[in-house]
Amino acid sequence: MTVRQWISDDTKETWIYGILGFLLFLMVWQMACVFTDFGTIFPSPGVSIRTFFMAFIEPIGRYTLLGHISISLKRVLIGYGLSSVAGIIIGLLMGYSKMAHAIIYPIFCIVRPIPGIAWIPLAILWIGIGESTIYFIIFMGGFSQMVMNTMDGAQHISPELVGVAKVLGAKENQIFRKIVLPSSVPYIFTGLQTSLSTSWMAVLAAEMITAREGAGWLILSGMQTGRIENNVIGMISIGAVGLLLAALLRETERRLCIWTVRSR
Amino acid sequence: MDSTKPLEHDDTIIKLEHISKTFIVEDGEARVIEQIDLEIRENEFLVIFGAGQCGKTTLLKILSGLESLTEGKVYIDGKAKSRFDPRVGMVYQTTALFPWLTVMGNVEFGPKTRGMGKRERQKKAQYYIDLVGLTGYERHFPSMLSGGMCQRVGIARAYCNDPEIILMDEPFGHLDAQTRYMMEEEVEKIWDREKRTVVFVTNNIEEALYLADRIIILTECPSTVLKEYQIDFPRPRSLVSPEFLALREEISALVELREGVVV
Amino acid sequence: MICGKRYWEYSSSTTTYIRMMAVSDSVIGSRLPSSQGRTLKEKTRYILISVASLVLFIVIWDLASRTGIISAKKLPVPSKLFETFLYKLTNKNPDGNTLGIHIWTSLQEALIGFFFGITIGVPLGISMAWFRKFDKLFSPLFDLIKPIPPVGWVPIMITFFGIGIMSKVSVIFIASFIPAVINSYSGIKQTRDVHTWVAQTFGASRSQVLFTVAIPSAAPMIFTGARVALNGSWVSLVAAELIASTKGLGYMIQTARLVGRIDVVFVGVLVIGVFGAILMEGLSYLERRFVKGGRR
Ligand SMILES: Nc1ncnc2c1ncn2[C@@H]1O[C@H](COP(=O)(O)OP(=O)(O)OP(=O)(O)O)[C@@H](O)[C@H]1O
Ligand SMILES: [Mg+2]
Repeated sequence: MTVRQWISDDTKETWIYGILGFLLFLMVWQMACVFTDFGTIFPSPGVSIRTFFMAFIEPIGRYTLLGHISISLKRVLIGYGLSSVAGIIIGLLMGYSKMAHAIIYPIFCIVRPIPGIAWIPLAILWIGIGESTIYFIIFMGGFSQMVMNTMDGAQHISPELVGVAKVLGAKENQIFRKIVLPSSVPYIFTGLQTSLSTSWMAVLAAEMITAREGAGWLILSGMQTGRIENNVIGMISIGAVGLLLAALLRETERRLCIWTVRSR
Repeated sequence: MDSTKPLEHDDTIIKLEHISKTFIVEDGEARVIEQIDLEIRENEFLVIFGAGQCGKTTLLKILSGLESLTEGKVYIDGKAKSRFDPRVGMVYQTTALFPWLTVMGNVEFGPKTRGMGKRERQKKAQYYIDLVGLTGYERHFPSMLSGGMCQRVGIARAYCNDPEIILMDEPFGHLDAQTRYMMEEEVEKIWDREKRTVVFVTNNIEEALYLADRIIILTECPSTVLKEYQIDFPRPRSLVSPEFLALREEISALVELREGVVV
Repeated sequence: MICGKRYWEYSSSTTTYIRMMAVSDSVIGSRLPSSQGRTLKEKTRYILISVASLVLFIVIWDLASRTGIISAKKLPVPSKLFETFLYKLTNKNPDGNTLGIHIWTSLQEALIGFFFGITIGVPLGISMAWFRKFDKLFSPLFDLIKPIPPVGWVPIMITFFGIGIMSKVSVIFIASFIPAVINSYSGIKQTRDVHTWVAQTFGASRSQVLFTVAIPSAAPMIFTGARVALNGSWVSLVAAELIASTKGLGYMIQTARLVGRIDVVFVGVLVIGVFGAILMEGLSYLERRFVKGGRR
């Protein structure tokens, strides 16, 4: 009884302070717009909110806000999906087989420290401007992280558990599926999480530079046309979608890895 | 068939012949096991007793195939033992359960890797889960279980794979005294029902005397057989009967004396 | 990307836990039978294979572009890259500055932004974790800006500060500020209970507990945050320079792309990679020096 009361008090407080903090933020923003030069280049909260809702029906450029967002989303999901699959495969390979590690790792090391975004000019020269270029950039953005995390997982296999499996009669070819794969899963998910946020980065940058639609374009066009409110709503929506995807991924992980400490 | 050896007792199931183990460590070599000769008889409860860090785990690992031999030979049923012999199962000192598998998944692991059908192996696993008293916990993951329960799963997993010899490496070393007594009784009961050979390693005299048909006492590292006791007390044993206490005194004295000499 | 292996520890405190499990397992765990005599020979064998693989990679690259299987316009021969590198060291073509100036500009921007991001982010994260009211006031706001990728800030910052150094520094500030706050926040939250109880039984005051217990035990986590921050800084720097600037490595590759100098693009991309790796190594060195007791 008392515990429940305490919790509800605590949540009440959280809400009150949260709303207070948010109002404070809006107030500072509004005041800055009214009383300083800030207002001449930056939209006020009211204008931003109005633009945000208007953007659902009135197209900006070629699409409405939802259109731009779904284009970006599609690009991210394709590029990210491809890079995750490739990253997991190569990571597992390098983590499990010393031979594969010896062959692939030195070449991978050249690519690894190059940020996905730095591939943009090369990608344009190689593939030209188009969808595949954007996929390629997103792919490169998440790939190294995926490989590194998966490899880390596959290398951190407990040798004791491998021994246990062998004593129980597992053959060499069963070890991979029965031990290496399941124990890498938490690492793979960590990779998926980090690589998702870099994929978002990459799609924004790629769209800013090479595309004429998508959230990145929306943000950049806001600057170029002097309509900063487009910029603001672009950022808000991309933040929201990013948050949603990350939450989705976390939920999937929670379901798939009930056995880790997280579930407790 | 030249590896066939005449057996001294017809009920000997494992025979260790001049077993030695040397580890190569950074600063040279470390002799851990020195010329152990031992015969393990069918269906007996053999306890190997030795001080901490004397090479007990290493000995069991050699028997299970996890560790290679430096010198000597191991025979099972009169034939040289292959590396991972399906007739040998092991319960580990640390909780060596697969954390990503449920209790059921862990227990059925052995039969599954050998390709037994789902129905059959789950029925079998269920039998052993019931036997160790974990009915109702089939869907739990190891991280949700207490240390004692985890060791029960370990025991069920070893038995479920149908080995003839079960090696137990200080399975209750990390448990509190209360749970430990309970588990000892349980292991004795299971051994009684399932009649398999058990090789049980411990550094606790009481545990050794309570469980053993025969106790092998090892020396300090590098370890070799110091003395052997046949224990013929009737089961279930009382921890306070005069004979029990006397034998306990005797073994303690022997071990302490040894340690005194070494130091 | 740059920091690779440990990068992921950022995503949440629980992952660190998993890693701890994994490590402790392998410490307790029996090493599998290894015929130790062979390992040294094996090592040299794998090193040889690695060298061979690298050499083969470069040879194939060279052949592919030399024989025209892939046109030299798309893939310059490796030796050409080295020439271009030397050439760019002294020559201002095609983008108006030597390679050294570009590197210097980029490093300057990245490090200034990173410095301010850390020096403001870490104290903020610590106080958010330590003072409850502070936490409740700022956490929701922070959660709001957290998921916006730093690159998204580039146009706004350019609008405010023009395409000079200030706009880049402020983007990088945001890129490093966010992980700095997140990690110091969860670092302090995570190590609070047990350690504080111990300290309190010894009669330490609240501020003493913060400075002698909480912050030191959160240090590894804070450093992880710094690593993520530095990585993020470097990535967003490149993005910012690609989008609008007049100097810097990102600008160099963008201009080279526009005039079709693929060799300069290649050199630029490789230099970006190398300096990213150097920055991360530098930070790891600092961490090894200053975090006693090491990472778990
Ligand atoms: N793989 C190995 N490489 C090198 N030395 C080893 C290895 N395994 C064990 N040792 C050493 O062999 C000795 C005996 O170890 P072992 O684990 O067999 O002892 P134990 O009797 O089981 O100890 P405890 O009572 O703590 O379980 C120890 O000194 C240990 O350091
Ligand atoms: Mg042991």
